[in-house]
Amino acid sequence: MTQLPLDDLTAAVARIRGLLLTEEKVDRAVALLAQAIKESLPGSPGAGVSLMDAAGKRTSSAATDSLVEKLDAAQYELGEGPCLTAWATGTVVIIEDLQTDTRWPRWQSAVASLPVRSVVSAPLVVGKEALGAFKIYSALPGQYDESTGRALSLFAETAATLLAHIQGTEAPLRMAESLKASLASRDTVNRACGMLMERQGISHERALQQLIQNARVSGATLVEVSEQLATRVPPAGS
Amino acid sequence: MGFDPHEPEQRGQLRDALTAADITVGELWLRYFSMTGSAGEYEVQAYLQGLISLPVIQRDLLALACNEIIAEKPPLHAPCADQMKGMGPIGPS
Repeated sequence: MTQLPLDDLTAAVARIRGLLLTEEKVDRAVALLAQAIKESLPGSPGAGVSLMDAAGKRTSSAATDSLVEKLDAAQYELGEGPCLTAWATGTVVIIEDLQTDTRWPRWQSAVASLPVRSVVSAPLVVGKEALGAFKIYSALPGQYDESTGRALSLFAETAATLLAHIQGTEAPLRMAESLKASLASRDTVNRACGMLMERQGISHERALQQLIQNARVSGATLVEVSEQLATRVPPAGS
Repeated sequence: MGFDPHEPEQRGQLRDALTAADITVGELWLRYFSMTGSAGEYEVQAYLQGLISLPVIQRDLLALACNEIIAEKPPLHAPCADQMKGMGPIGPS
């Protein structure tokens, strides 16, 4: 008799566990990225990375120090700031001096008391999808120009590709759903087989063959055929 | 059980269908599993490579699984110029 082999269940469980780990992996990757940016740039500026969903809501973020966290929190609270602009436009945003830059007036006044003057923010884009943005901050004005921007956007491309592989705020859900669905449909098909076996006094294999045949003739899927059979009242005779 | 004379041909055509429709073994196996298929993903892979033999019913389930996946895929379609306007720029709404 066909029994579910152990390696099927192992594979299913491994998949589910892989999914649960995904969120943590993203957070870790984002934190490593922020640290790498800080360490690889001259003067070790504060760095922060944020990932956003399609609506611009932050899904995960990391910062190298609390100053960056404050700057970021203000951005996402107010819904404006260089990172959101970089993310939305897909271009690098450079602020030469925060004190004189008036593009984001509410954010500017919210962070006016913090020791920050120069900011660069680059979008994390893979293909056509904007995953988020990262930025670096400096306490001195005029630290960053077009050439910093170009270098950062090159780096951003690599980082975004990496993140796209790890990121899975939606993928795990989808995957878990499809696993649940396949277990449910397995049940449905087995139930239909059981009914055929009982009604016609045939083996499991014969019952399954019959379902396959029905699906092929009707053009419906095996699950659809099984569902129909399971919900139909058996005819009194045959 | 022994080798069914039709098995190599059936397997070969399944493989061609998978390649043409760009379906991975994982994808195929998950669908087949949901249809009460009892071979593991490894075994399915081995079957596709002709390394092991599977009973007729398992082979038929695999074929059916493959066909169901193909039926669900949107058919290929090349758009004309006036069908392109739905494609907006990237970014938030």
